Amino acid sequence: MTLGLPFARRRRRERELDAEIEGHLAAAIADRVARGQSPAEAAAEARREFGNEGLVKEAARSQWGFASLERFSQDVRYGLRLLRRSPGFAAVAILTLALGIGANTAILSVVNAILLKPLDYTDPDRLVVLLHKGRNPVAPGNYLDWKARVRSLSSLGAAESWSANLTSGDVPEKLSAMRMTADILPMLGVRPRLGRAFLPADDDAGRDHVVLLSDGLWRRRFAADPDVIGKAVTLNGEPYTVLGVLPAGFQFAPFWHTDAELWAPLDLRPRASSRESSSLRVFGRLKDGVSLETARHEVAAVTAALEREFPGTNRDVRVEGLRDKVVGDVRPALLVLLGAVGLVLLIACANVANMLLARASARRREIALRAAIGASRGRTVRQLLTESLVLAAAGGAAGVALGAWILRALLAFAPQSLPRLAEVRLDPRILLATFLVSLATGIGFGLAPALQASTARLQDALKDGGGSGGAREGGRLRRIFVAAEFAIALVLLVGAGLMARSFIALERIDPGFDPRGVVTLEVSVAGTRQAQPGRRQILYRQILERFAAIPGVKSAGAINHVPIAGDIWGFPYRIEGRPKPAPGQSPVAAYRAVLPGYFATMRLPILRGRDVAATDVAGAPGVVLVNEYLARRIWPGEDAIGKRISVDGPDDAPVWLTVIGVVKTAVQNDWSAPPDDEIYLSFLQRPGLTDSPHPQEAYATFVARTDGDPAALVPALRAAVWQIDRTLPISAVQAMPDVVAHANARPRFQMLLLAAFAAAAALLAAVGIYGVMSYVVSRRAREIGVRIALGARPRDVVRLVVGQGMAMALAGSGAGLLAAFLAARLMSRILYGIRPSDPPTYAGVAALLLAIGLAASYLPARRAARLDPMAALRAD
Amino acid sequence: MVDREPYKDPIELLQGTLDLLVLQTLTWGPQHGYGITQAIRASSGEALRVDTGSLYPALHRLERDGSVGSEWKTSENNQRVKVYRLTAAGRRRLTQERSRWNRLLEAMSGVLDASRAPA
Repeated sequence: MTLGLPFARRRRRERELDAEIEGHLAAAIADRVARGQSPAEAAAEARREFGNEGLVKEAARSQWGFASLERFSQDVRYGLRLLRRSPGFAAVAILTLALGIGANTAILSVVNAILLKPLDYTDPDRLVVLLHKGRNPVAPGNYLDWKARVRSLSSLGAAESWSANLTSGDVPEKLSAMRMTADILPMLGVRPRLGRAFLPADDDAGRDHVVLLSDGLWRRRFAADPDVIGKAVTLNGEPYTVLGVLPAGFQFAPFWHTDAELWAPLDLRPRASSRESSSLRVFGRLKDGVSLETARHEVAAVTAALEREFPGTNRDVRVEGLRDKVVGDVRPALLVLLGAVGLVLLIACANVANMLLARASARRREIALRAAIGASRGRTVRQLLTESLVLAAAGGAAGVALGAWILRALLAFAPQSLPRLAEVRLDPRILLATFLVSLATGIGFGLAPALQASTARLQDALKDGGGSGGAREGGRLRRIFVAAEFAIALVLLVGAGLMARSFIALERIDPGFDPRGVVTLEVSVAGTRQAQPGRRQILYRQILERFAAIPGVKSAGAINHVPIAGDIWGFPYRIEGRPKPAPGQSPVAAYRAVLPGYFATMRLPILRGRDVAATDVAGAPGVVLVNEYLARRIWPGEDAIGKRISVDGPDDAPVWLTVIGVVKTAVQNDWSAPPDDEIYLSFLQRPGLTDSPHPQEAYATFVARTDGDPAALVPALRAAVWQIDRTLPISAVQAMPDVVAHANARPRFQMLLLAAFAAAAALLAAVGIYGVMSYVVSRRAREIGVRIALGARPRDVVRLVVGQGMAMALAGSGAGLLAAFLAARLMSRILYGIRPSDPPTYAGVAALLLAIGLAASYLPARRAARLDPMAALRAD
Repeated sequence: MVDREPYKDPIELLQGTLDLLVLQTLTWGPQHGYGITQAIRASSGEALRVDTGSLYPALHRLERDGSVGSEWKTSENNQRVKVYRLTAAGRRRLTQERSRWNRLLEAMSGVLDASRAPA
């Protein structure tokens, strides 16, 4: 049945019904005339006897079956017409709902993808990670012990970061890569889309030069060649054979080294007894029927036993669910955001409810009139409900559009370090859920006034000029709603204020160096002819000379790992003249190795002493610079210059390095971490860095400073390197200001989001108080008119109205302060340098919100003060 | 001018009995709406006044379930009127309704008489 047909049929029946009633009346009149009445008298009496024609028709129509559909569309049309007639109301209500629904959908979609959706492995919730303190890598000897002893895990595998210079092909490229034991892929339940996975036999020397490619690398560098299996590639100067291609979207490990594109087998046998050098991330799968708790207990027992066997090892090994490890860092922030959007949705619903309540009481007269001309109660309720639904549906539709837009904006601004960002989609289930919430708001708050209005006594409603009596209860409810909105807005504003102050504190951290104008790039020599011993000292000096010759470059230097952007190595060190610490008890310092010019280029001040020199080479006396933090900690009140420390050599014959300088304490890799020990060695004195062919050591990070835009320097820097050797892979090209901005991207993102939500909440609360006060003013126009007529000055009227508005704002803000105090404690994990109970934030926010409330109630108050008393008294 | 009470819930109030009355009235021949009200009124000795707000929904309902049929005719004073007549289904329905009504009557009087006895 098409939609048109019932309407055509319906029109015909409507005409027939008219004719039938006309026939009825004609027959009744004829009857009365025949009994001797005058035609006029007969007509009047017949009509009276017939009763309410509209109601009769309505009752008859109700038997037609398709009437409900027809009535619904009629109500919808009427609802739309009403909305068109009051575009202000419609726009505010729809936007309010759209904001609530849109923001919720977007944030929930993000939270769902990151926190709730399972990882893309088989049975991912059984996967666990084993790390020292939950974050530090594990030594091979310890891993192999666990593998031999732990029974509650059905498999245990390890992975290690690796980097591979791909020199076969057009452009030399340094690839982010990983070595992993053959257990890992079967443990994850992942199979290559082409070729095969590693077998334990692939670890064997001579057979371990095989690699698996990511889908992306296979497309980018191998043109998605289906015959790539078995092809040879040159990695770090050695031939490797392509074994397989992993499925698109495969990512491992999901919390560390997430950009790996290439995987090779990990043979731990040469290092099987090493318990010092820790580089492994260990993964396991819980045996069927074993709980995480059980596994934790067993691992604790095993590691405790191992610690007794090998003192200083196996400390504080934590077993964590893989997913918890992946999302652990962002969970508190996301939950705070989730709470924030929930509150915004709550305010939005309260506002819409308020508007519907206000409108319903404004329409009491219309509703009474409808009843008078024959609308049944059910009919009236249904109509009011339909109107609310029209509103909710329009708000929902706008919310969907807004949600999609907000999500795009979120993804554009989101820090790339957020885990699983690529999986974020606008989730249709979430859209549906938030849409239903808006519909429920429409129904809930459309229904209450509809029932209230439809039971109102007609005469009362018609008499009292729109009604103030019956609206009292609705009025109280509205004021409570507005107060609640203020409370919620205050909570959000406090949250945003704390985030903003925390962010300012983060921005004010002095990194120790001046990142402006600095660009960094990494040159890797692994697998090129520059990897031969003796070549690097010359190459690095050449590169620095060429860099210095580029117009615009003020100075250049090099280091193994730049702070924030690069890797970080921790080295245990010994202090001359102090007792040798127990195993595992040595202090650990961040280990940097620099070429001359690094400190000047970074503008990282040398507080005392001197920079490393070109003469601080292998064979010359060992030198080291320490940061001020270490100098003060180890040699308080003494001059550190001339003291000696050691980072290598056997226990009984350490190789001593003389402190030649003290450097200002700089941030290491974590922007907001407290200061820690840091040592700077002479790059040219580290044979590993200058002579080892191992890709973990055969590279240097160059820094160059310019007065202009550091990014503009990059082409010239690349060209300078490639003029010396076209086969050198260049990677990690970064402008230092971007690196710093990136380090704070997450807190900035959180702050901006919370600020946006808080602004939306404050706006909605302002709309709420404005709406209620406007309504109150229009309701009480007559009373205000009387006051003015009796001599009240405009100021008195303003005070009256503003006073009422501020009563709501004050009550709400007071409750909000308390709620914010409780809620802010949940934020302590994402705050830096500020306590969640920071009084200035609370005071400032409360003042701001009260000012907003004042402004929003002043506008209707001014309107009230300008009322023409005569017009107000005459109205109705 | 508006009488609030009768419109409270008119259909439910009279449903079963009104259908019975209408069907019974139509056994005497096809009739239009006004005619039916007059016939019920006359045959009940003016005791039953059928409200139009109940009559027309009842007629349309009976028409929909096939108990009555309808046709348009021109009355003697040249007015088009819709005339209802009883169908075969309507006759069966009337029989059922009558027996149900009788059972109800018996049951009611049984209860009413019994309740008087112990008092």
